[in-house]
Amino acid sequence: MKKRGSFLFIEKNDEVYTLSMTPELQDDIGTVGFVEYIDADTLEVDGAILNLEASKTVFELASPLAGKIVERNEALIKEPSLLNSAKEEENWVVKLTDVDEEAFNQLEEA
Amino acid sequence: MDQEAQLDYLIDYLLNENPNTNGKMMQYKMDTVEDKLVLFRGLCNVRSPEPVTEQFIRVQDAFLTKWNNERLLTTLNDMAAFQPQLYLWQGDITSLAVDVIVNAANSDFLGCMQVNHECIDNIIHTRAGVELRLDCNALIKAQGRKEPIGKAKITKAYNLPSDYIIHTVGPFIDQRGVTPIREQLLASSYRSCLALADEYQQGAIAFCCISTGEFNFPNGRAAEIAIQTVKEYLSKNQSTLNVIFNVFKDEDLQIYQTLLGMKE
Repeated sequence: MKKRGSFLFIEKNDEVYTLSMTPELQDDIGTVGFVEYIDADTLEVDGAILNLEASKTVFELASPLAGKIVERNEALIKEPSLLNSAKEEENWVVKLTDVDEEAFNQLEEA
Repeated sequence: MDQEAQLDYLIDYLLNENPNTNGKMMQYKMDTVEDKLVLFRGLCNVRSPEPVTEQFIRVQDAFLTKWNNERLLTTLNDMAAFQPQLYLWQGDITSLAVDVIVNAANSDFLGCMQVNHECIDNIIHTRAGVELRLDCNALIKAQGRKEPIGKAKITKAYNLPSDYIIHTVGPFIDQRGVTPIREQLLASSYRSCLALADEYQQGAIAFCCISTGEFNFPNGRAAEIAIQTVKEYLSKNQSTLNVIFNVFKDEDLQIYQTLLGMKE
């Protein structure tokens, strides 16, 4: 099941929720040149996931859901422009567990 | 030292400090106090955030205090609330003697560095004094990366009549126009400033029209977002902040008056 919130896609597979870029967000920020993840391993709603610098903006990416970070897309750090990729296997940001399923269900359909 | 002697000292200091600016500034006249003011402002605008001598600060602060306070200053008591806690005021934000004024900053966060550029970031930094850039530099260095859009940071206001400045970077509108993301980021700028003012237990905050000038956000839509976001924040958080919508241009005054139902 796939939802959207805070200009990100959230895809649920079993108990893992993968957050990735929406085309709208990609259009808005332009080519990403720098990515720095926040250190914390748990996220609050609207909590910062990472900071990025792109051709059109300097932006803090915030999470639409609270949860525990189980994986980060480490490839972004070396190659920030992967966030501009059309492929979700390249432009994903974090994978979360311990997400409130009800909160997920209430997000907008993707 | 009288004001002109202070200016002479300050200009001399700034030119000697950075001989590279000397050439650029040669075009400026030095005949009148007004000429010297323009040159002084330009030199402050391009000055890197390097330490400065105590004597410079003393002379600068004496000069700026007089320059800032010889104008008619406005306090909250001089304004009438059109609704509880909400005020609309037209004028130069640097002449407001209120707790907090909001500066429309950019992501580099050092204040406008264009010589005598007519933007709010430029005049706020000029009239506050070079200490402000030093402060902003320390904040952004500590952060270790550029300032994101929609956040807020607080500094002292130094020589301005207000106590604090909250700096926020609003969204920039390019040829693709306003998008939902940019609208949300503008609202986020307002919310971040309000939350920071409350965190510092301030009584009043004056907002400039964030993102409208150099950042091209359409004035009408920006005003709608500003008013809606402020009202929502105050009621949701039961905040007691007094909020001043500070407009500079007549166009913005008309827009706010219409949106706030103050005009037929």
